[in-house]
Parts: sequence; structure tokens; C-alpha cells
Amino acid sequence: MTLELNDMQGLLIRGFGNLPSAQYVLLRFSDFTGGKQYLRELLPAITPATDKPDEQAVQVALTYAGFSFLQLPAEGLASFSREFREGMTESHRQFILGDNGENAPDNWAWGNPAHDEIHLLLIIYAKDESTLAEKLAVEKNRAESYGVLELHTLPTGLLQDHKEHFGFRDDISRPIIEELVDNVEKKPGVTFPAGEFIMGYKNLYDEYAPAPSIPSSKDVLNVLPVSADLPDRKDFGKNGTYLVYRQMEQDVFGFWEYLKGASKDNSEAVSLASKMVGRWPDGSPLTLTPEKPDPSLSTANGFGFWNEDKAGLKCPIGAHIRRTNPRDHLVTERTQKDSLEMAAKHRMLRKGRPYGTPVSERLVPEEILGLPRDDEKRGLHFLCLVTDIRRQFEFVQNNWVNFHKFGGLDQDADPIIGNHYKSDIVVSDEFSIPAYPVKRKLKNLPNFTTIKGGGYFFFPGLRALHYLANHE
Amino acid sequence: MSTIHRGLTVSVVVEEEKLGQVNALLTEFNQHAKVNHADYRANMPSTYFISWLTLPAQEYAERMVLPPRILLMTSYVGRKKQHISELVHFLGLRLQAVFELSKPGSSRLSSMEDMMAFVNEHTVFQAFYSGFKFIPTEDIRREQEIRSEVYGFLDKQRSVPAFATQSPSEIKKTIEDFVSNQGAFAWATEGLKEIKRDKLRMLLPLGIFLLVMAASILCLLLSFFINSPILSGIGLVFPAFILILALLFVWLRINENNPHIPNEPVSDDWIREIIEREKNPVLNEMTVIAPLKKGLIRRIFLGLSLRLITLVGYFSYIPTVHTARWLQLDGGRRLVFIANFDNISEAYAHDFVDSDNRSRNMAVVFSHAAGFPATKWLVKRGYNHRSEYMKGVRAHQKITQFWYAFNTELSVENLKNNRKFREGLFRDMDEKEIREWLLTI
Ligand code: HEM
Repeated sequence: MTLELNDMQGLLIRGFGNLPSAQYVLLRFSDFTGGKQYLRELLPAITPATDKPDEQAVQVALTYAGFSFLQLPAEGLASFSREFREGMTESHRQFILGDNGENAPDNWAWGNPAHDEIHLLLIIYAKDESTLAEKLAVEKNRAESYGVLELHTLPTGLLQDHKEHFGFRDDISRPIIEELVDNVEKKPGVTFPAGEFIMGYKNLYDEYAPAPSIPSSKDVLNVLPVSADLPDRKDFGKNGTYLVYRQMEQDVFGFWEYLKGASKDNSEAVSLASKMVGRWPDGSPLTLTPEKPDPSLSTANGFGFWNEDKAGLKCPIGAHIRRTNPRDHLVTERTQKDSLEMAAKHRMLRKGRPYGTPVSERLVPEEILGLPRDDEKRGLHFLCLVTDIRRQFEFVQNNWVNFHKFGGLDQDADPIIGNHYKSDIVVSDEFSIPAYPVKRKLKNLPNFTTIKGGGYFFFPGLRALHYLANHE
Repeated sequence: MSTIHRGLTVSVVVEEEKLGQVNALLTEFNQHAKVNHADYRANMPSTYFISWLTLPAQEYAERMVLPPRILLMTSYVGRKKQHISELVHFLGLRLQAVFELSKPGSSRLSSMEDMMAFVNEHTVFQAFYSGFKFIPTEDIRREQEIRSEVYGFLDKQRSVPAFATQSPSEIKKTIEDFVSNQGAFAWATEGLKEIKRDKLRMLLPLGIFLLVMAASILCLLLSFFINSPILSGIGLVFPAFILILALLFVWLRINENNPHIPNEPVSDDWIREIIEREKNPVLNEMTVIAPLKKGLIRRIFLGLSLRLITLVGYFSYIPTVHTARWLQLDGGRRLVFIANFDNISEAYAHDFVDSDNRSRNMAVVFSHAAGFPATKWLVKRGYNHRSEYMKGVRAHQKITQFWYAFNTELSVENLKNNRKFREGLFRDMDEKEIREWLLTI
């Protein structure tokens, strides 16, 4: 099935890496009519997936509160998934995500509806800072003139060599959407049917991804396509998807200080940090080059764990990349095939960008280790696109990232992004590194990342936006 | 003592109007068990899990009402008689209070003997699965303890320069010397003698079954050459078995043509109520109870499948599951499934449908239950199988008013790993095997 690129927002198929400047703007409608007029005017400015802009791009997503405010028909509202309707801060979602302690929504700068209710996320990309400033001014004006309140503007900044703030190359491993590749050779765990990430297409179960829909009678202007599964309903989800947003502050100095404390020299600190990530700072995977980094493998992604490293002697079972994508080896499975099939059901399209000034320009760990601590705030705006928040993002966050028993481990949450703590019944602040003759356990890991905000958004197709802007 | 982990299920009918009373009691007892967990562990050393719940009336095949029931489902290691006696002695008054509210129990439970007889009398057949085999409850803590002590000991050796250059057998010897020198670990030097016997015991029914089938095939072949009515008689067992299976399959296939009746969607509030109970940090429990789809063949086929599952129980494997059981009630018209598993059901239920194999195996049991997705020839799944399956699970999930688990801290992988470590102690292994064994520490 060919993808309707002209009905999709561009972020679904590209990361706008050629537009290095970007800001995320969080807004709230204050008036129903104004809100719809605003959307109508915004629509032509939104960059569809058919465009490959080199100046600027605009993308938009709404929260459940946003759709409610714009009075999407009740049947449509009810057809969104429960987790989207409840929102990231609802108490059970909080439990699933492990957002407790210092990660609790009470400590967030945004996204906690008890403090401010967000309706809309505007993502603006530009080729440079001045173009971004111009575009922001335009959007600010547009919003103001329709009573759409700007709640937060969150700057981003790409770092050198695709790095994230701890100094590791990021954005290497990405699921490939089969429909986007000519004569694709399908490979389990590597290529994916579009329905895993875009609604209106078949997913890995050979089903249409569950999508929001409205009764046909409520689509008076006949804007929306007919739902593939429900002939009497119109598909509001087609060419859209859910967007998960987590603002994660990174304690870069805390991270490297901890590692320094656990090592005899800088080189050991770097290799321990790489064990935590599962790749060397330059991106080369430990599974393929366990002893030292190999720059020729810095974007290598064609590896598995089943044959190469079942015991985790190269890349620990609890490493960040092995927990967030166990590939072909789940410790609890008995065959490589089952592992591959199971792990593939829990992938996401990552689209985030870092924010804040890096501790150094080149972000070379050996350099960072010698720097004095500063007070800058920096981190990652983690964004991912999924058609099923629970099966994909929440499952990974809950069952793989935070579950301290993942993969037969004893008391280990994800070393990089896990919530590390000790309570009467749970200890989750250890990291086990399998080794001969005995594994090494790092203990008392502090939290290296803290959640500062977040929300579940829906990232609609263009027809759905058109419907929203024009419905009765 | 047997170290086979087995299940016990007691089921009694209760009047609709008494359900509220029973529920209130079970909820109160549940609270008591949480607060007095240590007492429960000390007084019921054979018991791993207890799920105790009421089941409301359910409609079967649009024409029959299946009665409300009280279900007590436990799992234990050791002798059944001993386990029942332990339950009755420790939970006596509570069992009495609840079961006397059930119809048949009305005035008969005045003594411990009455209670034991009552439990025995109302025990029903089930297919039982355990994710860890041959581990009595007392071993849970001590196997964890010895592994972590040994780790602590080795971790200290790390600073000795020659440590990492020692051969695997030298390291193993160091570990075994350490263990032998700790008086508290004397139990670990004795090995695991009962296991072989228990393995054989578990495999015995399958062995007999295979033997009968093999004998039948042999007799069948011989009967071509030797004219003996006994040979021909025995020789017919195998073909008859195959023929009956084939006929049952065809009958089932005809039934599968009945139109699929999907479940009513469940409310968000109901789901919230269920998942609110799944917040234990390591293990949780889930109960799914559904009437079967209409047709006698569903009841027969499921009954047969559960018996075959029992037969091959030794070889079955369900990841992250501590125990699971399937049983039929009310003349086979109701399917009960309960599982104790690691983490939460939203993650666990995925295990059923995320791989092709698993999803096919699950269809063997669940496709008979009302509202669960339709199949062809039992295992061929249709469109939307996965979402219909997940909906089926939620639609028939029940709240377990009373849940007790002996072990609340270790995952099934932890338990198996601890056991692997213990099994390796003082056992001859080659260098490669020792390297693998060292990874369990
Ligand atoms: C500040 C927070 C985070 C940092 C610093 C971080 C860092 C990294 C790095 C360095 C990689 C390796 C590069 C690559 O394979 O593409 C990676 C991969 C990945 N991360 Fe994160 N990450 C963060 C948050 C998250 C979160 C919240 C999730 C999802 C729950 C996540 C999921 C993934 C996935 C799925 C991969 C790819 C694994 C693979 O396919 O091999 N990350 N991350």
C-alpha cells in the first residue's frame, strides 16, 4: 500500500536534520472559534511529507485536552486510546512510566495539568537561528491574534557529530518503514510495515493500527477517508500517529563524576560509560568491537545479540541500547525467532533533539572528565512517534527500561535513563557488567536523567487537521 | 519429600446473595495476609501461591446461567495431604467462614477433619504449569543468599592481581572452598538428590502414554503376521486414538463456522480497577474466567487439550510465568485461567500474542472461550486476532479478592538462575561449562 505522503506531516518520514535550529512551542487555546480560525490559518504553513524544505518547517500536534477544547465529536474523543485520553500524568500512567520521586510530575516545569493545561505543540525548524527567530515571531503573532496562549518555548540545539550531552553519538538505530523503500528486502526487526508508526496502514500483526474515528454523519464536509475497519466511520487517525514527548534533563557532570569514582583512570571510565550505553562514544557498537572503539563502525547497526553475545560479555544485557531494543535476544525467550518477533513489536521512531549548551563543543569524554561543573541546564527533548503508546513507548519504558528484573537481572534499571532508587521492597540502582571470572556490579547509581516535562500528543494527518479546523 | 510444584483448586457454588458477604470476608483476609505476610510464610511452608476469589454468575451459550462460585486456587510443593492440612490449620477459621457461606458447606465444617474432607471433596482437575521446577519454598531464600554471598566473596578477590588470570576450574575450586568453610551453607554441599526421582515422576504419565501408543503400533504391525485377537485389540488403540482426534477436529471445524460474537467492550473504570491491583513491584496475578463458546465439542475439545497439556507439562515453557493453570467448571462450560507472572499484565498479556508460536499455542485454549477470536482448525488465526484477543482477556478478567505469594521479590529468571548456580556447586564440569556457570553468579 503506498503511503499518502501528501496527507502526512513531514516529521513522520524525516528528522529535518538539514534544519539544525528548532524550537518546541507549547500553547493553549482560549477560545473555541479563535482556536479553529487559528488552525485554519496555520494549515497552509504546515510542512507536508512531500516537501523537503531547506529554509524552515512547521509541525503541529495536539493533546487530548486540545481536541476536547476544539470540540472534536464525543465519539471521536472516546476513540482515542485510553493512555492518550488519560495523559502522561494520570496516576496509573505515572506508575507505568516510573515517574516517581524526583521524576514525579509535581516537579516538572511543564506538562502537569494541575499547573498548566497544554493543548498544542508547535515544532518549528529552521536553517539557522535568524530564520528561526523570524519564523517564531510570525507564529507568535499568529497565535496572539487568535487568543492562543504561548505557555512555554523550549529551545533545542543539535550537538556536534550527532551527539547527545553525555558525549555519545545518538540517532543511529532507526526502524526502516518498508513502504518508503523501493524493492525492499523485508527483515524482521529491521524493516517495519508503516502501520507500526503511521495510522491507516497495516502493522506487524497485519491489522490496521487502532486509530481515532468519528461517525460518518459528523463529517459533513466529507473531508476524512472512510475507516478501513469500520465502514460507518471516518478515519480521523489516517496518516497521523501519537507523539510522545519527554523533556529529560541530563546531569552530565554527575554522570562522568560517578564513572570517574568507579574507575582507576579515564579510559576505564569511558569504557564503563560505553558498557552503560552499549556503544562507544563514537557510536561503534560494543557487540561488534568490544575492546575499543572502531570509527569505521560508528553508524553500524546490522548486529544481533543471540549469536554474537548472548551472555552480555560484550554488550551487557542491561545496557541502554540492549534494553530499549533487545533485537534478537530476549533472555526470557527460547528461540532467536521468538525473540526477534517479540522485540519488534515494541519499537518507536525517535525524533528528539538535545537542548542546552554542551559542556564542551566536541563532547569528547576524556575532555569532559577534566572540566569543572557548571550550572547550565541541558538534556534531551525525547520525542517518539508510535501508533500504540502502550504497546510501544510505555511497554519499553515500563518493562524494559525501569523493570529492575529485566533480562534476569537482580536490581538494575536502565543505567542511563532508568529511575534509580532504593525502597523497602525495590532496589533499582545497580548496573551489572558480565565479565570473567565474575561480573562487575556498579552500585548506588544516582539518576543521570530527570524528567522535566512531558505529554502525550496526537500528530494528525493534514485532512484530520483540516477537519478539526472546519468542523461544525 | 516431592519437590514437584503442583496446583490445588477447590471450587464450590455459592448463592448470588451471599457473594457480597464472601467478597467482604476475602477482602478483609487479603488485608490480613498483607500485614502478616511473615506469619503466612512461616506457617504455610509448602504454599507458594493462593488466589481466592468469587466468580459471579455468567451466561453460557445465551441459554444457561452458570452459577456464582467461590474458587480457592493454591500451589504447593510436597504432599497434597500435607498441604491441605497446612491450609486448614493455618487458615482454618477463614476457610470455615467463607466456605460455610457456600451451599454445600452450610453446617458441616465444625472440625479440622470436616474442613479437610470438604477441601478434598471439592477439588477439581486442572492443567498446571510452573515456571520453576523442583524448588521448595525454603530454597528460595537460601539459594539467593548463597549466590549473593559468593558474589561478595569474589568481588573482594577482584583486587588480588592473580585472580582474573586463574583458570575456570581454579576459580570454581576457590568458590567451593569458600562454601565448604561456611557452616551456614552445609546444606549446599549435599547436592540435590530428589530431583532425578521427581523428574521421573513428572515424566511418568507421558512415558506410560507413549509406551501404550508404541505398544499399540507394534501390536498393529505384528497383527499383520500373527493372528491373535489380543494383538489386534491392542493394535487398535493407536488408530482409534488418531481417528477420534481426527473426528473431533472435523466436529470442531464445523463449530468454528458459527458466527463470531465479539465481547462487549469493557469500561475504562473496570480496567482501572483491575490494573490498580497490579502494582506489586515484581510479581502480579491475573485471573481470566470465561464461559465457552456454544457447542458440546468446545467442552470436549478443551477438556482433551487440557489433559494433553498436563501430559507434556514437563516440557512446556511460558516466559516470565511463575505458575499458570487452566481448568473447566460447570460441566466444562467455563474456562478458568490464572497466572502469577513477573511485572504487570499489560506487559504479560503481550507475551501471548507477540510471537507467532505463542499466539498459536494460546489459541489452542482460548479460542474456545466466548468472545475470543475465531480460529480455523484450532490454530489458524483470522483478521484482528491480536486486538480481539487482548479485548477478550480484559473482558473476562476478574478481580482476585485474596492473593498471597510466598515469594514477592524474585523473578522467575532469578529463581532459575539461583538454582543453576546451586546445581553447579560441587559438580564436575569442563572448563567451558564452568565459564558458563560463573555467569550465573
Ligand atoms: C536523555 C535521555 C537519553 C539519552 C542520553 C539516550 C541516549 C541514547 C544513545 C547514545 C543511543 C545510541 C544511539 C543509537 O543507537 O541510535 C540510544 C539509543 C536508543 N534509545 Fe536512547 N537515550 C535517551 C532516552 C531514551 C528514551 C526515553 C527512550 C525510550 C524509552 C530511548 C530509546 C532508545 C532506543 C529505542 C534506542 C535505539 C536502540 C537500538 O535500536 O539499538 N532513549 N539512546
